[in-house]
Amino acid sequence: MLKKLIVLIVVSVSLGFLSRGVGLSVHQATAVTIFSVSILGTLIFWNFRLSFAFLGTSVLLLSRTIDIEHLIRFSSLEIILFLVGMMVIIGLLKEEGLFAWLVSMILRIPHLTAKKFLFAISILSALLACAIDEVTSIIFMVAAIIEICDYFEVDPRPFIICSVMTTNIGSAGTVLGNPIGILIATKAGLSFEDFIIKAFPLMLLCLCAAVFVLLIWYQKAIRELDQQIKRFGANEILMRLISVPPERHLKISLVIFIFTLVFISLHHRLELALNLEKNTILLVAPLFSAGIIMLWKWRKAREFIEKDVEWWTLLFFMLLFAQAGTLKYTGASDILAQRLVAFAGNNLDVLKGIVVWLSAIGSSILDNVVLVASFIPVMQSFQSMHVNLQSLWWALLFGGCFGGNITFVGSTANIVALGILEKEKNIRMTFFQWFWIGLTVGIITTAIVWIVLLVVPWY
Amino acid sequence: MRVGEVMAREVKSIPFDATGIEALRLLQEMKISGLPVVDKENKLLGMFTEKDILSYILPSYIEKVGRFIYQDDPKSLKKKFAELGTVKINQLMRKEVITTTEDTALCEVARIMLTQRARRLPVIDAKGRLIGIIAREDVLRAFTQGMQQA
Repeated sequence: MLKKLIVLIVVSVSLGFLSRGVGLSVHQATAVTIFSVSILGTLIFWNFRLSFAFLGTSVLLLSRTIDIEHLIRFSSLEIILFLVGMMVIIGLLKEEGLFAWLVSMILRIPHLTAKKFLFAISILSALLACAIDEVTSIIFMVAAIIEICDYFEVDPRPFIICSVMTTNIGSAGTVLGNPIGILIATKAGLSFEDFIIKAFPLMLLCLCAAVFVLLIWYQKAIRELDQQIKRFGANEILMRLISVPPERHLKISLVIFIFTLVFISLHHRLELALNLEKNTILLVAPLFSAGIIMLWKWRKAREFIEKDVEWWTLLFFMLLFAQAGTLKYTGASDILAQRLVAFAGNNLDVLKGIVVWLSAIGSSILDNVVLVASFIPVMQSFQSMHVNLQSLWWALLFGGCFGGNITFVGSTANIVALGILEKEKNIRMTFFQWFWIGLTVGIITTAIVWIVLLVVPWY
Repeated sequence: MRVGEVMAREVKSIPFDATGIEALRLLQEMKISGLPVVDKENKLLGMFTEKDILSYILPSYIEKVGRFIYQDDPKSLKKKFAELGTVKINQLMRKEVITTTEDTALCEVARIMLTQRARRLPVIDAKGRLIGIIAREDVLRAFTQGMQQA
């Protein structure tokens, strides 16, 4: 513990001095040091990340590196409120049994074969990650996979890996799949429609490639499951294992969710029609629905806010965004952006490659929100240098999501899924059991994105 | 009134090397829902309750998946129950246990029981050895007797 703390302090302070050495001002070097503490803090002391964020932000204010007004502006309250609204909606859907109903649907796949199972879990994982969020969707996907593998007495690991990887891929498809989606959408001024037109098809292409790789990689597991399906016959017990009564409340919850999705998907057109500021409806839709839910379920309103909203994570995000904003405020990110552009020889194609691969490698080790938050001030500085940003935002989004597949700590979905696997089946996955397939899928999908961004002028 | 005056001193406990099924049998024989787990020197290691068995045999994700109804027993249930024959108690028990001492005021114990939602508290000495147990029933009985005497 002490050793890790010393490493954290030494590395961060060295980075600060190094920044001074390369010509950054005191305030810029302070911003770099504090931000490094937060990033390294999440890497080394995951459970203490909020403490580091609180302490770091206090130092930034006390050292006058940033003022209160800008700190509040950079903390991106709009993103936090969007996530709060979505978490309340997801909390309601969970309470009313929608996710359990989806699990029961997976258990009832007719005429089950191993390939059908792999296709079903891959496609469902990706699409559900698009519609809700990756962490919620992976929980019930893993639940369904463990039940099915238990029934047929096969190792669930290959199928859980397939589901997690396709979840991470799917999470890049829409604004809703991953917190970095909304983060990029608000900072880049991209709409849900932009995501559907540009991110979703590219996600589907990468999903097909990933499923193809997974089918080949797990041939043996697929054969084994097929043999077991033949041995055990139809999955009758699974078909009637769980049920969710289609109550009125579940239907109303679904209607609220669908309305929210409709408003989110049409937000750009509605904003134009109503002459509203960009992304107003995108942010208002989940908030409005959450308000309706709390009016409808007023007895449980407090519970939705206290239990379903992950305040620990959201507070960390707020302070992290503020600290990243300090890099922009002090001008530290401008210098970094200038150096990056110079390194890329003022060539946008080289810059795309740097962003997509750097974000993929970075998010294989770091939380992708931390990574994207660090990239954002640099990206904003590119803007002032008249660099065409849109393709770089997509590079950041896909790199940030797909890099999560490379290692088993690369994304929250991986950690959640493996945590359940360990608890349920007492199976602890080793780094390399994940790494080789993760690296293969990660490299192939990131390479597809890179090529598409380079070749297709659409992006 | 102090805990030492009210607590049960003859405490049955579960040895740390017992298996899940042995511990469960002990609970069933004694018709109680939970017992402390101790090492060879009688030091308190944890608390084992019927709830720990349910947590073990049912999937850990049931709360996260949301509301549903089991229409049948999942295959894993029998398997997990059979595993209780080999799983050691230290893998099942709750290790963070709220304890009390002999000289603690009874009202303080009542406060802990209410705020921490504890049914019974193990009583330990300065060396962490189990010397007794106090249940909600003991606290209430003592309060009732106190009222009658007054």
